[in-house]
Amino acid sequence: MSKITPITQSKLFNNHLKRVINDDAFAARTIVVCSVLKDVFAYSVRYKTTMENKKIPEKRRPFVAAMDLASGVVTSVAQIAVGFSIASPKVQNKLWNKIFGNAQFKNIGVAKKSFATILALIGSGLITERVLVPLMATPLAAFVEKKFFKHDATAPATSAKTYSNYPFHKPTVFKKMFKSKTNA
Amino acid sequence: MIKPITTATPIKLNQRMANSLEKFSEQGGEKIANYINAAGKFAIAPLMILYNPFTKEPKENKKWAAVKQPVEAVVTIAAQIMSLNLLYKGIDKLAEKGKLNFKLVQDAEKSGKIPEAILKANSGDKVKALKTLQKTCLDIFKDRTGTILTIALYVPILAVSNRIFPVIADLLTKDNDDE
Repeated sequence: MSKITPITQSKLFNNHLKRVINDDAFAARTIVVCSVLKDVFAYSVRYKTTMENKKIPEKRRPFVAAMDLASGVVTSVAQIAVGFSIASPKVQNKLWNKIFGNAQFKNIGVAKKSFATILALIGSGLITERVLVPLMATPLAAFVEKKFFKHDATAPATSAKTYSNYPFHKPTVFKKMFKSKTNA
Repeated sequence: MIKPITTATPIKLNQRMANSLEKFSEQGGEKIANYINAAGKFAIAPLMILYNPFTKEPKENKKWAAVKQPVEAVVTIAAQIMSLNLLYKGIDKLAEKGKLNFKLVQDAEKSGKIPEAILKANSGDKVKALKTLQKTCLDIFKDRTGTILTIALYVPILAVSNRIFPVIADLLTKDNDDE
C-alpha cells in the first residue's frame, strides 16, 4: 500500500473526481478556485518579500507592496465572481453554440470541458485580474499607502524604522526564510 | 513570386479554433491556468499599471511596479512548467507501477458502472471507457497535486524574481534620483 492510497481511495477525493467528470461547470469552477488560491498565497508572500527586499529603494517599496496587497484582496473576490459566472452552463451553452456550432471534434466532451475551463480562466485570470482589478487596485493602493504606511518623518531616510509600522508585519517564518537571501 | 494554385477548401476559422482547443486541452487544467496567468502578467499587467488613468503616483513608481510583472511572469512560468513536467512524470511512473488505484475506477471495473460522460465519449465501448476513466482520474489527480506544487513554488520563485527585477527596473527606468 503506497502513501498515496489513502487519497486515491478516499470518498472525498473520489466524489470530487466523479463531479469533475460529470459536471463541466464544476470542473471549470474548481480550476478557478485553484487559481484564486494560488493568488491569495502569492500576494501574501509577495507583500512580505517586497517590504523586506532591501534591493528595492525604500521610497519605492511602500507603493510596490501596497499594489500587491490591494491587488490580492480585490482580485480574489472579483475572479471568483467572474469565473463562476462564465462557467455557468447557460453562458457556456450560448458561447459554445455561437463559436463551435458546426465544428467537428474528436472528443466533444473533453473539448467542452476545456472550453469552459479556458474561458473561465480567461475571464477571471486575464480580464478580471489583469484589466479590471488594476483599474480598481491602483487607486486603492495609493489609499492604503497613505492610510496605513505612516512615514516617520524624524527617522533618517534609510532607517529601518521609516516604514516599521506597516500592517501584518511581524518577524515571522517568512522573514527568517528571506533574511539571508534579501540581505545578500 | 507566383503563388501555387490550391484546390483544397480552406479550413473554417471555427474548425481551426476547435483543433487548437483540442490540442491545448491536452496540456491539462493546471498548466493551462499557468499559461493564461503568465500571459496576462507579461502582456497586460504592465500596461495597466503604466496607463491606469486613476492613479496619480509618480511615473517612476509606476515604471518600477510595471517592470516587476513581466520579469515575474517569465521566471514563474519557466519554473512552473519545468517542475510540473517532473511531477507529472513521477505520477505517470507511479501509475505504471500500479501504485495509483482510484476507487472510482476500481468500482467501475467491478460493477461496470462507468460515468455517463466517459461512456458517451467512447461510444458505449466499456473497455475503452475504463481506460479513459483511468486516464481522466490520473489527469485530475495531476492537476490537483500540480496546484499544490505551484503554491509551494511561489516562495522560491518570488525570492528569485525579487532579486532580478530591481536590477532590470533600474536599467529600464534610469532612476538617478537619491534613494
